[in-house]
Amino acid sequence: MTTAASTLPKQDATPATATGARLVVEALERQGVELVFGYPGGAIMPVYDALTSARFKHILVRHEQGAAFAADAYARVTGKPGVCLATSGPGATNLVTGIANAMMDSIPLIAITGNVASPLMGTDAFQEIDILGVTLPIVKHSWIVRDAADIPAVFAEAFQVATSGRPGPVLIDLPKDVQVAAVARASSPATPKEPAQRLDPAQLRRAESAISAAQRPLLYIGGGVRIANATEDVRAFARSTGIPGVCTLQGLGVLPPEWPSSLGMIGMHGLRAANEAVQQCDLLIVLGARFDDRATGQLAKFAPHARVIHIDIDAAEIGKLRDAQIAITSDLKSALRALSPRPLRIDAWRTQCEQANTEHAFRYDAPGEDVYAPALLKELSERAGDNFIATCDVGQHQMWVAQHCRFSTPHAHLTSGGLGAMGYGVPAGIGAKLARPDADVITITGDGSFFMNIQELATLKRYDIPLKIVLLDNSSLGLVRQWQELFFDQNYSEVDLSDNPDFAAVARAFGIDAFRISKREDVSAGIERLLAATGPCLAHVVIDPRSNVWPLVPPGKSNSDMIHGVPE
Amino acid sequence: MTSSFLIQIDRAEGSLQRLIGLIERRGFHIDQLAVADAGAHREVRVAVRGRDSGRCSEVLGRQIDRMIGARRVAPAPSPHVEGAVPCPA
Repeated sequence: MTTAASTLPKQDATPATATGARLVVEALERQGVELVFGYPGGAIMPVYDALTSARFKHILVRHEQGAAFAADAYARVTGKPGVCLATSGPGATNLVTGIANAMMDSIPLIAITGNVASPLMGTDAFQEIDILGVTLPIVKHSWIVRDAADIPAVFAEAFQVATSGRPGPVLIDLPKDVQVAAVARASSPATPKEPAQRLDPAQLRRAESAISAAQRPLLYIGGGVRIANATEDVRAFARSTGIPGVCTLQGLGVLPPEWPSSLGMIGMHGLRAANEAVQQCDLLIVLGARFDDRATGQLAKFAPHARVIHIDIDAAEIGKLRDAQIAITSDLKSALRALSPRPLRIDAWRTQCEQANTEHAFRYDAPGEDVYAPALLKELSERAGDNFIATCDVGQHQMWVAQHCRFSTPHAHLTSGGLGAMGYGVPAGIGAKLARPDADVITITGDGSFFMNIQELATLKRYDIPLKIVLLDNSSLGLVRQWQELFFDQNYSEVDLSDNPDFAAVARAFGIDAFRISKREDVSAGIERLLAATGPCLAHVVIDPRSNVWPLVPPGKSNSDMIHGVPE
Repeated sequence: MTSSFLIQIDRAEGSLQRLIGLIERRGFHIDQLAVADAGAHREVRVAVRGRDSGRCSEVLGRQIDRMIGARRVAPAPSPHVEGAVPCPA
């Protein structure tokens, strides 16, 4: 397997001038970039020319969307910004879904695009797109570089913007004439400093009082905990106070699932014990979460008895959807460390939560001979253990992963949460495996999602990346089919995928080992074979097309209105 | 109800487009807009009105404030102001 660049090309003595393209490469090297995911084309050719002497490695994907998703996953796993590179026009627009994904989930992503030469911009030139305009709503910030001499400073600022405060994607657009222009080298730009945030002592004291007075307090843990690297701080706070916790899709893995008062995911496909705890709590301590509608259900009926302490680094999240009685704008580590946690006298509440957790635990004894996907995923994650990293696609399998897999840290669960982008799984697996070669990175995908970026199997083969893929094939767009069954009078419209190809044969055509599992009795051996594979490997798992995800909160309903189906 | 802001933003490429797009995307109509030079910056005076009762001008102010290149955001008095829309409970 090939990972980050290990050999450094010899560099000549630094000349007094350099092209814009060379300055781009040097700017990326200065930021410590190890991997760039991209795809060349006409308007970015000068940068690709300069790349051949770069000290970082370029991964050639087969579609620019794959580059953006792989860079996103690299960032989620490492905490460092991911970098993707594309040409103008269609190359740039193919990045858009990946950039939007990074924006929705607050991922530091550096998207670099070529553009036509400056005199042609605005003339509808070949492969010209106003990519700055196209991406304005989905970036934290963006730049068109008009002077090659600005490249070092723009890149330094871009990395700082992408990673500081609430992280997010940035875009740098490079007209072709700027890439080829030779300019005098300037000294390296200073990295802009992030202004320090100051905690408000009065708000901290109010929060402590509210926590002490609460009878039924609850932690509501979101993706901000992973971003802030505050997992240990949240665990310490929960341990010290004894407060039970629920999480969002992005907060999975923060509290160890073995903890009795770790109640799991809330929301549309959340766990009953978690949703019930939210509905009954009298104090909701919100840690890096944003009251997403998939988590809250009908907002007006969410946590109806609770006062809210909202801690978030982004002031614009506070009060956006739910008023907070106590608002603390801060990074989570600083805020949690400034609070003085004490053991609380909430034994009755904790016991109630823990009993509900036990009573409503999932069962895995579904009748029948077909593969039961929840049981397979549970066994897969348990056997992979703490070394497990899942990259999910979007659909029923994504919710089963969230419900049934065990995650030892939030960095082990990579999923397109806010955008819900089908096609994320395989390229994200590539980015994650390159970032963490030592981990058991497993992409869990569905037959609908897999097709969205199936071409990246060629990338797996080219770089011999030992990514494992579990393809849960229900011959349909399962989640849409489930909604049509439940909410559209079983009027099944355009969800049948029963003409799917033989996925194992497709994978083998790419040169990737593959096998098929269609019976429950073959699951354990299949998992063993997958985990033992030394190269990329696909397990094509055939499941019942009628399988549904339970429990479920119907759209627009309160989380109190969960329906459970069979088996729970 | 209408709220007004006085905003100082960088004179960078796309900054005005970015600001106007943000306001509309977050669910506000722009009723009045005036842009003036202010040295190295642009000074923008904007009167906005929520598209529905769920829009909170206070939150919009914070969303503008976090925009890269926004130097200063302040509520501005305006003949149209009848009071800020309260944040959702």
